[in-house]
Amino acid sequence: MAIKVQIPTPMREQAGGNAEVVVTGGTVKAAFDDLLRQYPALATKLFDNGKLRPYINVFVNDEDIRYLDEMDTAITDGVIVALIPAVAGG
Amino acid sequence: MTDTNPLERYSRQMRYPGIGKAGQEKLLASRVTLCGCGALGTVLANVLVRAGVGFVRVIDRDFVEPSNLQRQVLFDESDVTNNLPKAEAAAVKLRQINSAVTVEPIVADINRTNIEDFCEGADLILDGSDNFEIRYLINDVAIKHNKPWVYGGAVGSQGMSMTIIPGETPCLRCVFEAAPAPGETGTCETAGVLAPAVNIVASYQATEALKLLSGNKAAVNKELLILDVWENTNRRVKVAPLAGRKGQCPCCAKRNFEWLDGAHGTQTTSLCGRNAVQVSQRTKGKLDFAYLAGVLKQSGEVSYNKFLLKFQLVENGDPYEFTVFEDGRAIIKGTDQPDKARTLYAKYVGH
Repeated sequence: MAIKVQIPTPMREQAGGNAEVVVTGGTVKAAFDDLLRQYPALATKLFDNGKLRPYINVFVNDEDIRYLDEMDTAITDGVIVALIPAVAGG
Repeated sequence: MTDTNPLERYSRQMRYPGIGKAGQEKLLASRVTLCGCGALGTVLANVLVRAGVGFVRVIDRDFVEPSNLQRQVLFDESDVTNNLPKAEAAAVKLRQINSAVTVEPIVADINRTNIEDFCEGADLILDGSDNFEIRYLINDVAIKHNKPWVYGGAVGSQGMSMTIIPGETPCLRCVFEAAPAPGETGTCETAGVLAPAVNIVASYQATEALKLLSGNKAAVNKELLILDVWENTNRRVKVAPLAGRKGQCPCCAKRNFEWLDGAHGTQTTSLCGRNAVQVSQRTKGKLDFAYLAGVLKQSGEVSYNKFLLKFQLVENGDPYEFTVFEDGRAIIKGTDQPDKARTLYAKYVGH
């Protein structure tokens, strides 16, 4: 069991081409720290001056972290963290 | 077509218990404003007109191009040959499909000065657009005038949709606080798009429209739908608790209509005598030229330095040259038409 972070298509180039990255950490913030340790190029895609870019939403098992404990939301093995940017085209 | 019973053509959907005769009569009495008539918009218009929605206003600023035909279901080669505006070409087809409803085509660039007029009298606003500027404008108008609307977006093999009912669900800004900066997310031109992805998203949007217009608000999907037709995923993520975002949503909680008021969005200025238009973007942050160049090199010639990015392309035989600055501002040479420049900007620099 592990924590999986799902990487959206526009960011996969910066994540070694992976659709999912396995990370460790007890909170969403710790999971992000591990993700960026593995793939530092993701930092500018996800964060702007240390703040998550406002068009990217983070879901823990389909729950938005903004009504949980934001970046301090606790996570355990088996959890899926999904990064979901707004989809523009049409 | 002569019908002894004008409702006979709708008999199959009336037989569906959720619609019935009462629901059909509501559809016939409904008015919809459709913002954008591209891939999403043509599917939406097709479903609504066939379903008997009584009045459909179709607004689009573009003309039919060969690269549209892969997915924009109401257009054909003759529309390209005749250089028809999408709204007009769609109206011709839609009237052939159902002459009993009213289709009102409007060839216009939707912006903050006209969108309230376009949405006046509508029971529902549908998003058939391809950019976030129009979506945030729709969101402002919908919240301000208490009208439901349905967001849809698709690029590559993925898409998403969400139904916004003012006062009942989160609004677009509750869920997506700000538009992606120019060049930050893919557009259908830069990242490509599969027809089924847009067709499916638009079909979900159309279903939401049928629910709302036939008096079945309780059946509406109040979560964010996300799907990927290539990766075989289809999920609903829970956004309902974001409604009003604890009183801090600038739009639906504080009723600051920033896009409608012009605090965000693009502005265009024709550069006299230069066959060029400047498109200014009111977003914070700097463009990542290396990333944007990587995206644009599939569509034309790109070069950049510390200060600006140059991008040259030929579209339908017409050459254009973009000079893009770090703050998102662009000078687009090759046209003196603001509408065309905004279209080119939305297509290639994106939103």
